Amino acid sequence: MENKNKPKIAIVSLTSCEGCQFALLDLGERFLDFANQVEMVEFRLLEDEEDKGEKLDVGIIEGNPMTEENIKTLKNLRERSKLLVVIGNCAAMGGIPEIKNYQEGKNTIKHVYKYLQGIENPEIKEVDNFVKVDFTFPGCPINAEEFLLYMPGLLAGKIPQIPDNPVCVECKKKGNRCLLLDKKPCFGPMILGGCDAACPTSRMVCQGCRGLRPKGNIKAMRATLKNMMTDEEFENTAEIYGLRDDLEEREKKIN
Amino acid sequence: MQNSNGVNIKINHIAKTEGHAGFAASIIKGDVKSAKLEVQEGMRLIEGILVGRNFMDVPIVAQRICGICPVVHNLTSIKALENAMGVKVSEETKKLRTLLELGQLIHSHALHLFFLSLADFLDMENDLTLIKEYPEETRMVIRIREYGMSLIKIIGGRVVHPLTNEVGGFKKVPTTEEIQQLIQGSEKIISEVLELGEFFRKIKIPEFSRKTEYVSLGQKGRYAIYEGDIISSQGLHIPAEKFEANFHELQKQKEVIKKVEHNGKSYMIGAIARINNNRDKLMPLAHKYLESLGWTFPDFNPFHNILSQMTEVIHCIEESGKILKELSHVDLNKALTEKYAVKEGVGVAAVEAPRGTLYYHIEVDNRGYVKNVNIMTPTAQFLSNLEDDIALYLPKVMNLEEHEREKKLRAFIRAYDPCISCAVH
Repeated sequence: MENKNKPKIAIVSLTSCEGCQFALLDLGERFLDFANQVEMVEFRLLEDEEDKGEKLDVGIIEGNPMTEENIKTLKNLRERSKLLVVIGNCAAMGGIPEIKNYQEGKNTIKHVYKYLQGIENPEIKEVDNFVKVDFTFPGCPINAEEFLLYMPGLLAGKIPQIPDNPVCVECKKKGNRCLLLDKKPCFGPMILGGCDAACPTSRMVCQGCRGLRPKGNIKAMRATLKNMMTDEEFENTAEIYGLRDDLEEREKKIN
Repeated sequence: MQNSNGVNIKINHIAKTEGHAGFAASIIKGDVKSAKLEVQEGMRLIEGILVGRNFMDVPIVAQRICGICPVVHNLTSIKALENAMGVKVSEETKKLRTLLELGQLIHSHALHLFFLSLADFLDMENDLTLIKEYPEETRMVIRIREYGMSLIKIIGGRVVHPLTNEVGGFKKVPTTEEIQQLIQGSEKIISEVLELGEFFRKIKIPEFSRKTEYVSLGQKGRYAIYEGDIISSQGLHIPAEKFEANFHELQKQKEVIKKVEHNGKSYMIGAIARINNNRDKLMPLAHKYLESLGWTFPDFNPFHNILSQMTEVIHCIEESGKILKELSHVDLNKALTEKYAVKEGVGVAAVEAPRGTLYYHIEVDNRGYVKNVNIMTPTAQFLSNLEDDIALYLPKVMNLEEHEREKKLRAFIRAYDPCISCAVH
């Protein structure tokens, strides 16, 4: 691990459930093999040693920059890293904490805390509002297979491109019956694939945790979904993974 | 920092725990004035964001409180919603859910035992060193975790943030072949988990003891995991519905974790509490293993939480094999969700999470929209107990050199297996 020729990486988490890190750890031996090919400067799940602030080839961020301390950590990692990569929905799209942006903030926090003094409650913003992001592993959680697939390129300094396919491509390959045929409001056609269609394969509708695909036809999707859910239900569902603000932005561009 | 009267101890960052926390203590003239875990985590306000949302969103959002124990948040929120709306589920559904929770305990405990805690007792500061020195044991732990995860992957559809379980039952159930595959997995792993148990039995565990109250679920004839009443080592026995009337959440200024107390005192939950309260109901091999440790009960050494987790991993593997065999003879389609009526109501539920009893209280209106949610997580419940323990432990390590002292304190905190993401939520 002290090898000078190995690329240096750090996996750092901000506010999140840390599920993306666990998705990596759950790869078991395959993750340990990956860890042996790099110099892991920081990965708190496995290491107690203090990070000395070295330069990095790839800095990896999980979670949302929600506290002042989180923002400092994020900016520091950006400065040290040739490439900054984010993993997961919280970092990329705001994640479930972003739901509160659509609510009346004060009521949300008052439901949880009686004494507000000393409690930070900022608007939730994605990582790319604070620093430049070179690549995103989308999903809630990320698809660990995709991590193994694209990391070698990133370690070599090349930025990969996730193919612009809807979730439906992998879903069909699995031989699943289309949930839309059963009038289940699945967002699959407008959402970026690469997740191995984990949700529809479990008969769970896609709710868009990987974000809109670049060429997704939102208008057609909305028209199809109108028969299955109200506009309010659509908006509520799009809030779960922070998709709602991206949809609104895309709709503005179309009109 | 030190002057003639006092010492301030500060640990900025405790790695190898779930979430972000540090530790601070102040000792004046040998007296511990304060000993506190300091949270470095943003508030996601999960309870707040659930209010006003449809009940179907609740398990999806709530399980994202925690990436290591999403299964138990999923199960407990669903049970609370079913209790609120009066939805009954089949025995098959209950068995599949119990299997999910057993898988949850197996993989979370195995991770904590080996990857988060073990290095502390071998005086190492990096797991990559541990992995290099103990390659056989590492592979064994990985295979044990993989068995636990296979239960969740096959029944729940995904390990981190499962998909199939919902109010009323399951969206999709495993096939007969998949159940057979899991049965084979449970049979194959049992000899390895006993071998790992032997390895852990030889680890030198520090001596420390402080009397406390152990709280857990309790069930007749069974080591309670998925359901049961709330019981304690001091004779408490109440239904889960009475939890909030007996255990009190404390809100203090500037504290983001709402700690919980019983009768104004701290109490302990999790593996060590369950072993103390329910050890006579362990499966045979787990029971035999526990006896081989030679403890006298009640046992009050918090470091024993680790060996209690080891005992539970053995138990959960045995129990999962038993339930899987029962399920191989039944029609699992009975676990598929049946139509139910959405009703107004208040529901509470408690399930044993890896780190202790997780408690949910949910109120929904007649359209199924959430009116109120309260979640009491294991770490929020045992945090006061941890701080009380550490206050007593500190004088024992005060004379050590700073770095050594810090290592001992980290090891102590990690033995508790705190989950800060859960505690803050």
